[in-house]
Amino acid sequence: MLSSHPRDPARWPRLLTLLLCLALLAPSFSLTQFNPATLANPDSWRTMAGFVAGFFPMALQADFLRDVARETITTLASATAGIALAMLLGAPLALATSHALQRHLLGGERPARLAGWLASLLRGLMVILRGIPEIVWALLLVRAVGLGSLPAVLAIGLAYGGMLAKVYAEILESQTPGLASALYLQGASRWQCLLYGLWPQALPELLSYSVYRWECAIRASAVMGFVGAGGVGQLLDTSLKMLNGGEVSTLLLVFLLLVSLSEGISLLSRRALGSVTATRMLPALGLLAVAASVLWLWPGWRDSGFDSSAIVRFARDFFPPASDMLTEIGHGMVETLAMSGLGSVLAFMAGAVLAMPAAGRFGTAAKWLSRLLLNVLRGVPDLLWASIAVLAVGLGPAAGVLALALHTTGVLGRLFAETLENADPEPELALQQAGAGRLLAFAYGQLPTVFSQWLAYTLYRWENNIRSATVLGIVGAGGLGQQLYLALSLFQQHRAASLIIAMLLLSWAVEQLSRYCRQRMG
Amino acid sequence: MKTLKLTLATALLAVSALASAEEAVLKVSAIPDEAPTELQRKFAPLGQYLEKELGMKVQFVPVTDYAAVVTALNSDKIDMAWLGGFTFVQASLHGKVVPLVQREEDSKFTAKFIVNAAVGAKSLQDLKGKSFAFGSASSTSGHLMPRYFLQKEGIKPETFFKNVAYSGAHDATVAWVASGKVDAGALNASVWEKLVQSGKVDGSKVKLLATTPPFYDYNWTVRGNLDKKLQARISAAFLKLDPKNPQDKAILDLQRASRFIPTKADNYKGIEAAAEAAGLLK
Repeated sequence: MLSSHPRDPARWPRLLTLLLCLALLAPSFSLTQFNPATLANPDSWRTMAGFVAGFFPMALQADFLRDVARETITTLASATAGIALAMLLGAPLALATSHALQRHLLGGERPARLAGWLASLLRGLMVILRGIPEIVWALLLVRAVGLGSLPAVLAIGLAYGGMLAKVYAEILESQTPGLASALYLQGASRWQCLLYGLWPQALPELLSYSVYRWECAIRASAVMGFVGAGGVGQLLDTSLKMLNGGEVSTLLLVFLLLVSLSEGISLLSRRALGSVTATRMLPALGLLAVAASVLWLWPGWRDSGFDSSAIVRFARDFFPPASDMLTEIGHGMVETLAMSGLGSVLAFMAGAVLAMPAAGRFGTAAKWLSRLLLNVLRGVPDLLWASIAVLAVGLGPAAGVLALALHTTGVLGRLFAETLENADPEPELALQQAGAGRLLAFAYGQLPTVFSQWLAYTLYRWENNIRSATVLGIVGAGGLGQQLYLALSLFQQHRAASLIIAMLLLSWAVEQLSRYCRQRMG
Repeated sequence: MKTLKLTLATALLAVSALASAEEAVLKVSAIPDEAPTELQRKFAPLGQYLEKELGMKVQFVPVTDYAAVVTALNSDKIDMAWLGGFTFVQASLHGKVVPLVQREEDSKFTAKFIVNAAVGAKSLQDLKGKSFAFGSASSTSGHLMPRYFLQKEGIKPETFFKNVAYSGAHDATVAWVASGKVDAGALNASVWEKLVQSGKVDGSKVKLLATTPPFYDYNWTVRGNLDKKLQARISAAFLKLDPKNPQDKAILDLQRASRFIPTKADNYKGIEAAAEAAGLLK
């Protein structure tokens, strides 16, 4: 009889597992100096409350708003021009490296060795391009080509170019190969195979992914001001440093509007991609947007001037990388891993709790309120959360943990709520009708059906968070990023080079590990 | 309608003519030891004065990063910059730059160590195991000289303190220490005095712990390949500012200067040696 078990019969094993997990995480707490008690400390609350109280009234002076409007357009334009550059870079790389267009796979010929080596070389280049986070590219380019929007555009172009190349190549490979192969065997050139065999079927997917990347680029471009690359981020950085709450709240609002707007546009245009007219219209609209962006950014670029010899000189200073900093790098890596692990676990817990109301389990009002909260958490990038968290818990890795936890809660909460909504409600209903309490019915009827999905999402976000954690230090939140920022500030380029290599290795290792896990799971 | 079109066309022509006119412009920047908006406000009257004295346009380029100012000067993107002692040394090690003038106060600048009152520290040695904040890593009075001074006292910050952080700016350091986010910190004496005088520091929360010996700090530096005659005219314009003249006094007050004096690269040998000793020039 279920009613004779008012409590969870599996409570002891569950509690034990939970405690075991927490025990495993314990070193992360000390490594990141993340002390939940500081959050309960009345002094922290008072500082935070003082800062938040300063949010009102919002800054609405005409000249400030004019600056905000100008920088918002710059942010949009940099993202758009950056994506255009990324596509120009990514498309040829994808064509050169995609297996879909290799002779031996199209026509069963013997693989050409030289071509194989060249493709591997290009793939290595792609790993480097996307392995260095865009904000690090921006930090380096700000030093190499000067301040302003140009480094932001180049940073997005390089980092996203590597990413687009990889995904474009994969999209081409995932198309049914029969058509292209048949054309090739009929004597068509590989260009013809691409244009008639692959392009028509792959186009919607290619466009859809590019639009999605544009949306990501806007979020990235909005925070690049933190390293001096213009846009709303630069205004926000200044306002945060000067603890000007009124300006911060105005900018945060603009920020959220910008992110939601781009999400909306991206969603609408991706939905429209089903129709043929939309597939034709979208590239034309895109070209117009790119032209407008370049026109808007041009005066700033003309003023700053592009000095390629300065870039070469700048790059030369990085060689050879410093070899005497293994312990420092090890420490930075461990701190980065601990930050990402702890942040992801906290986000898992908070996300699970918020997903309940967000999935409509506690009425409509609670549903919309919790969704709004999740959207705000998700809409603010982790780098921005980090610069706010630095105010709440002080400089250092603890701020990084909090930042990752907040942003990831928003992401996971939404995904968790979606799985709950899509899950089969019947097992839970059956348990409830058999007399089980709401909590028990959930724990036995619903949780098992969604849990593995939740876990998969969390692991995927953790992978993302490791990459994010490497750069949070740029705003003072510990890890490798902080060391890199310091090294570049002190013109210790050799040390900076070693740190960038460490970041690359970490990002590459995580990518390999996750691919291996996915193959095992799939 | 026709007149409107005509006016528009004329206006466009005028704008493009203005934009394309190759006018001599002196591009000036400053290390962001205070908010960029504050720097711009402080520079505006000085900029107008220089425009009048030099007979050329003077443009202020706001920069949010210390190292970026150095890079911009070294790569001729700007002509003149307000640098700190350490950033001047960095700039002179990475290219040819010429220091022109400095404020009288800069020849005997100091840095202050401050502590949160609740820590109850009486000397620097009492800070063992506490958290500590420098300003920007590229700052002379917020990082280099305090670090050098600590080193002379036998203190290696990375092992002596529980945690070493960089707040980014002098006023931020005071805010951290006052709120207890860090236990202690170091900053520029002149910013400290400004905050104390204007009542922005709560004396019951933040205590002064120590002061460094004097050193050479800030100066106005130009890129090495700037026309020699122009360099001399810029120097002369700064040196001519007279505290007895009310108009000049207003400019000097905004710069927190009693007057400007000539300076030379040799003045910063001490800073370079300190940076070398503190391991910041690796």
